[in-house]
Amino acid sequence: MENEFVVNIIHRPEMVPEYAEKVTGQGKKEDIGRKSLLTESLDIFKFQQETAHKNGLKVTIQMTYASLFNDEAIELAKHDHETYGDEIALSLLGLPCEEFRKKYNTKDFCIWMFSMEDKMAIVDDVFGKFHDIFGFYPESTGSYYMDADLTNYVKSKYPSVKCAVATCWEEGPKAYHTCNNSWYTLFDGGPWNPWIPSKQNTHAPAANEDEDSGIVAIPHLSRDLIACYDGNGSNFGTHPQNVLRGMIYDTKTWEYPYLYNIIDQYRSLAKYNDGYSYNMMFVGPGWLNKMGRWEAPYELLKKSYEDGMAYYGQLKKEGKLKDLTMAEFADYYRSKKTYNDPECALWRDILYGSDKQVFWYADPYMRACINMDQGGALVDLRPYAAKLEWKVGIGTPHVQDASYPFLIQEKYRAGYFTHYAGEGTVRSAKISHGGEEVDLCLCRTKAHFAETDAAKVLTLDPVDIEFADLTVTLQTVITFEKGSSKIRYDRKILSMSDPEAEVTINEYMVGCYGTTEYPEDMTGITLSVEGGSGAGSLNYEYKCREIASEGGKTASAVIPAIDTSVALSTDADDAKVYIREGYAFSPMYTLGMTKKITEGEEVTTWLNLEKAN
Amino acid sequence: MAQSGKGKLNYRCPSCFLRDLDIDMFYDKDKDEFYCMRCQFTGSEADVLSMNETVRTRYKAMMQRFEKFDFD
Repeated sequence: MENEFVVNIIHRPEMVPEYAEKVTGQGKKEDIGRKSLLTESLDIFKFQQETAHKNGLKVTIQMTYASLFNDEAIELAKHDHETYGDEIALSLLGLPCEEFRKKYNTKDFCIWMFSMEDKMAIVDDVFGKFHDIFGFYPESTGSYYMDADLTNYVKSKYPSVKCAVATCWEEGPKAYHTCNNSWYTLFDGGPWNPWIPSKQNTHAPAANEDEDSGIVAIPHLSRDLIACYDGNGSNFGTHPQNVLRGMIYDTKTWEYPYLYNIIDQYRSLAKYNDGYSYNMMFVGPGWLNKMGRWEAPYELLKKSYEDGMAYYGQLKKEGKLKDLTMAEFADYYRSKKTYNDPECALWRDILYGSDKQVFWYADPYMRACINMDQGGALVDLRPYAAKLEWKVGIGTPHVQDASYPFLIQEKYRAGYFTHYAGEGTVRSAKISHGGEEVDLCLCRTKAHFAETDAAKVLTLDPVDIEFADLTVTLQTVITFEKGSSKIRYDRKILSMSDPEAEVTINEYMVGCYGTTEYPEDMTGITLSVEGGSGAGSLNYEYKCREIASEGGKTASAVIPAIDTSVALSTDADDAKVYIREGYAFSPMYTLGMTKKITEGEEVTTWLNLEKAN
Repeated sequence: MAQSGKGKLNYRCPSCFLRDLDIDMFYDKDKDEFYCMRCQFTGSEADVLSMNETVRTRYKAMMQRFEKFDFD
């Protein structure tokens, strides 16, 4: 199959660019109607449009509310739609302007944070004004985040909308911290590439037509799937000025090969997604202001945007890139993908020189990250199977926090390594022999991808586990069965230095739940062991208790706070299955099974996610 | 002593940047130095630029152009 690399380029005429008032207006009294600010904003928009068109690229123009009051911005959009085929769409970013402030009497500007009543009023206002000006309703919209209630309302009132920018990948507590705890975009846990959001939760893809919100969602930028997970997301993505923000360029030559490496690595993902790969570039005008941005002068900001567009333009000329508007992309996506087609990304470090490799997987039932630098451990897990209804905005339990909760998150709740006591969240295995124990998290390896009609499969390079008197060579195969809501782990002992020896394998998952670094109350969680001689269950009370059952089949946790059930199961008849309660200093639960294993033997376990209510 | 302002460019604190914090620095013209409001960093423009280069040392592959993204 011919690979297709599809790109959405989006510009927005933002009359009061984020950052610009704070940066260029430093030392001046706030005045969002300043003539110089409006003039500069339009100049930036014109520059971005000209740069894209010069390189033969089509743009989606996301009109902002403020720009709907500006005749020049409107005329520019109409002209470029006629001349270049650009789509005129409508953004829910860029609300701030004098008209908005007077009408709504607020400085809030993030649509997902308003009360539902205000969301509806603003949407009707903005869409109505757009219709008055252009004579039609838009087919595309978006914001940094679109909560499910907002999307459902937009789709019900304005059915022409079929595409939306709906989240910004892993823009959560890390971005908040980077901005000195002053940038409230808390929405970790979504897909990194386009998806069809469910009606229940934007982050969780729809599993069927009933769940389909009716739009195709695209992420705000295409982000580095290793660097963003650990560091500030806004340094590592297909946003040339973000790369400058990360200081990822040579100060003498103004070269930034990293930008092209991200684009090319995204192109390489076609290998895991039936020949399809995707990129999104959406640079807000605040990043191209004439005063420069932080230590980058305007000339460098401008050059980086020109270079980014030129690279896309070059790929297009070579027949390696398809530029689509957002609405065109929605049609393309729906013609290519079925609900249960997963999105996969085997991603390597392209910045720190580490050769670290991870695998990201997303489907309607889960988002998962496998870390090859930790022996194939599962280091991030979002249980989309729960389709958690999580209302966001003023008047809901989550005014700002729109993240999809995790069960495992190696950065926020430790992973293998903890300080002094307790355990961190991870799903891995330990091998023990003669009083020694080795966790596979310490066995660095690499993965190779394969697929069948029903599954995506990662086969890891074998690793050696060295005990004092025995060396064990073990291989891990991880299988994601389409639509099953399960992750299968097969571990096989390929050889042992003493072929007669026996070792014990302990397959385990340490989990919790949450959306931030801080612990949640575990009270209410039920831990159970099913099957075997010692089946039983307990309600979580931080008492460090354990239940183990010889011949058991399943260990599970039901977490009512997020309507989620997670289970680790085995088909072995001679395993001991266990659950372990944590304690206040280690607010975790452990699900596991142990089994004796010899050379040539294989152990299979499944991690299964379900909605619990 | 007059109030501080911004320099000709808007430098961030390189010490905070190393811990993933973007903090704008302010410029004290009496001392001819930039300073961070959050941590104890102070320095001349040359100090800031020099430390920004130190920041980049963690990006060992920053100038490498990759052509292969798997390990097959």
